[in-house]
Amino acid sequence: MKKRIPLLLVLIFGIAGIIPYYSQYPLVQNVQSFIRNDMIRIIAAFALVLGLGSLLKVHFDKIRRHRENWEYSWVLILSFVVTAIIGLFGGRTGGGMLPTSIGSFVFNIQVIYENVNVPLGSTMFALLAFFMASAAYRAFRARSLDSTLLLVTAFIVMLGVLPLGNRISHHLPSFVQWIMDIPNVASKRGIGFGIALGSVATALKILLGIEQKWLGGTR
Amino acid sequence: MFATFLITIFALAPPTDVRAYDRPDDGGGAITIQWQLSPDDELVDGYEIYRSENGIDFAMVGFMGRGRTQYNDESTEDGKEYIYKVASVSDTLEGYSEASLPAMSSPQWFVTQRIYLLFAMLVFSGIILYYIYVVRRGKELYIRKIAGLEAVDDAIGRATEMGKPVLYVIGIGTMSNIASIASLNILAEVAKKTGQYETPLIVPHADPIVYTVAREVVKESYTSIGRPDLFDPDKVFFVTQSQFAYAAAIDGIMLRDRPAANFLIGWFRAESLIIAETGTMTGAIQIAGTDAVSQLPFFVTACDYTIIGEELYAASAYISREPMLLSAIKGEDIGKIVIFAALGLASIIGLLTRFPILGLFD
Amino acid sequence: MKAFEYLSKIDRRIIYLVIGVVVILPLIFPTVERVRVMAPAQSLFNAVDSIPEDMVLMIDFDYDPQTMPENEPMAVALLRHAFKRRIKVAALSLYVQPLALALKALDQVTEEFNARAQTSADSIIYGRDYVLLGWQPPPIVPLLEMGISISNVYSTDYYGYRTDSLPVMQGIENFNDVGILVSISGGNAPLWWVGYSQVLYGVAVGAGLTAVSASDFYIYYQTGQFSGLMVGMKGAAEYEELVESKLQVPGERKASEAMPSLTAAHLAIMVFIIIGNIGYMMRRRI
Repeated sequence: MKKRIPLLLVLIFGIAGIIPYYSQYPLVQNVQSFIRNDMIRIIAAFALVLGLGSLLKVHFDKIRRHRENWEYSWVLILSFVVTAIIGLFGGRTGGGMLPTSIGSFVFNIQVIYENVNVPLGSTMFALLAFFMASAAYRAFRARSLDSTLLLVTAFIVMLGVLPLGNRISHHLPSFVQWIMDIPNVASKRGIGFGIALGSVATALKILLGIEQKWLGGTR
Repeated sequence: MFATFLITIFALAPPTDVRAYDRPDDGGGAITIQWQLSPDDELVDGYEIYRSENGIDFAMVGFMGRGRTQYNDESTEDGKEYIYKVASVSDTLEGYSEASLPAMSSPQWFVTQRIYLLFAMLVFSGIILYYIYVVRRGKELYIRKIAGLEAVDDAIGRATEMGKPVLYVIGIGTMSNIASIASLNILAEVAKKTGQYETPLIVPHADPIVYTVAREVVKESYTSIGRPDLFDPDKVFFVTQSQFAYAAAIDGIMLRDRPAANFLIGWFRAESLIIAETGTMTGAIQIAGTDAVSQLPFFVTACDYTIIGEELYAASAYISREPMLLSAIKGEDIGKIVIFAALGLASIIGLLTRFPILGLFD
Repeated sequence: MKAFEYLSKIDRRIIYLVIGVVVILPLIFPTVERVRVMAPAQSLFNAVDSIPEDMVLMIDFDYDPQTMPENEPMAVALLRHAFKRRIKVAALSLYVQPLALALKALDQVTEEFNARAQTSADSIIYGRDYVLLGWQPPPIVPLLEMGISISNVYSTDYYGYRTDSLPVMQGIENFNDVGILVSISGGNAPLWWVGYSQVLYGVAVGAGLTAVSASDFYIYYQTGQFSGLMVGMKGAAEYEELVESKLQVPGERKASEAMPSLTAAHLAIMVFIIIGNIGYMMRRRI
């Protein structure tokens, strides 16, 4: 019974998700709209509360037991609480119940986002350039015919997308565009077909209850 | 006579052949009006669409620019008849068309344009169900070796020997990503294996709904091997929905806890290389799997094993070898054969049409 | 022998240092590098240029700060194009984070045009020339419901004005009145617009993408589902080139200024790969 109800719900809502694609009838679309706009939002909101609860519990435990680096858990919890209060009560750019400026020092949620989140996110993304260089240096070795072909093609494409490539040869950018348009698209389509069919098969297995591991347990 | 002559000279030629009909494949409340362009189309500002319920009093309901020949009136009441006229207009002149025949809007139950897709879906589902039936009758199905999945046991064994934890990263997908669901299926198997060896399993999450499901998956997996005591809720936790903050958290876990085996299985975006390269730096064995094709090159360069695209969906069947699950993979393979056969045939026909001598398919 | 071994095992910190230097130096001494315009960017430019007067250009801002260096120059070039040709713009976002970046791009280009404007007719005025519709969760809602009515989804704009009261939205009911929707994204949002809005309502879709995800999207460009693409920093530089050369719109060309850094970084990576392979091959021989 514990598993039958979730499986039945999955089947019903799965079919309820497929039917609106084939029918524009107002009743069908209204049901879909209700599921998409109302039910999913409510479920997502509850799940977010659970998730945040988990995060805070993990860090409170770390503080309580003085585990390694417990001090940083205080940083996380304080940042979380302060940002939440400012965001909830301070207004998007100020003007809320809570004042978000002291003299010329402004600390509303927009300012926090632009001056904290944005630089931190950009910093992490910038790591990619360095990691790509070290990964390419380590992995791109001409060990076999396949890897040599890959290496040569990579070189041609890397040169061709640069303005320098156009100076080396006027035909190079067009050749690179051909590589992107034909062999690249052909291989992507092949993988895409496999993924699409695999998605349908996996969804079918879940709808019919053949695949139940996502529920936990043995099957 | 002179007035008629003037009107003939100075009036705009109206659009012709005005037809109104119920817009197909919709939920009702819309009528499509089509017309042929006015011969003076280059001179007009556009076309005004007029509607009447009695054929006498017309009111304007819409406007389309020069060169356009269709308008959808989306303010109709189902079951009521409407008559339309279209007028070509410029600053000072206009020309009215003849009235259309009456038209009525109504909702349709089925979108006829999608019948081919429905047919294809039913055929493909039928193939899978057929193989489920075949398997139930006892036939054994073959599945080729997938290196990444063969290495799962080795990776967990390595972590156990070294006394280090196993890190399992589901990526940043939500439950609507098939990759996340496939990853949860693999997580169940990994949790059972780590439970048998009592190897710690760390599972950080980027999506709260996936977190709630994964928590239950791990708990049930430990219970199924008789070790519910092994479940530690602090090891299966939500981190953040922010992509790079999540990557930073994973990197921190890798550098502090030094897991000996990393599973990066799910849906990833640009953070994939940041995570994988940090794992390489710590010397862990890494098994990655994703259907996000753009991230595959990064995993291939930075990880020991990479599970590509639909191999990820096959993982659950591969690891458990359950016949019912294997039957679905067989169905997928047949579906692929059908698609490639159709593509091949269409390509041959396309090539043949290029030879005028043959003219077979003109 | 040791030298070859060293060549194939260079410390990753040296690699990071070299990459850092070659990327930063050209940025300290910025120069605009003119690029050759390729077909995807040209197609997008042509598609936007041919929007009829009674229709609107819809821009979906779907990028985060992380992909801002690639995506923001695309948005700025697109806005310059639209404002120069007096094409009405409706901006929106499927998520809340990119809204701040949408505002940033809109404010920047509006200020550029208004600084040069001689009369009100030349100026770019909010509500008359463009609107920021805002954000309406979940993302599926605007994807599906704007085909029926835009003002039902966004009854008020980002600033709280009723959208049906704004001059720019007069006569703009739904996707039938959208000339093209350009999604500038660091992720898969353009595919959602094609998969939902274009399939159901036939709206033309263009995209501005990060270079890493571009190969996924060429399939759809080849089939005509995307009217055009701006691919990565180079795609943004190509669009900037088109806007400046064909429309004579001046302004900072961030993507074009970054091209020398991009070139230097690519060359550095290629040199390291060659060095690594020389070391590897010589070790194999010995």
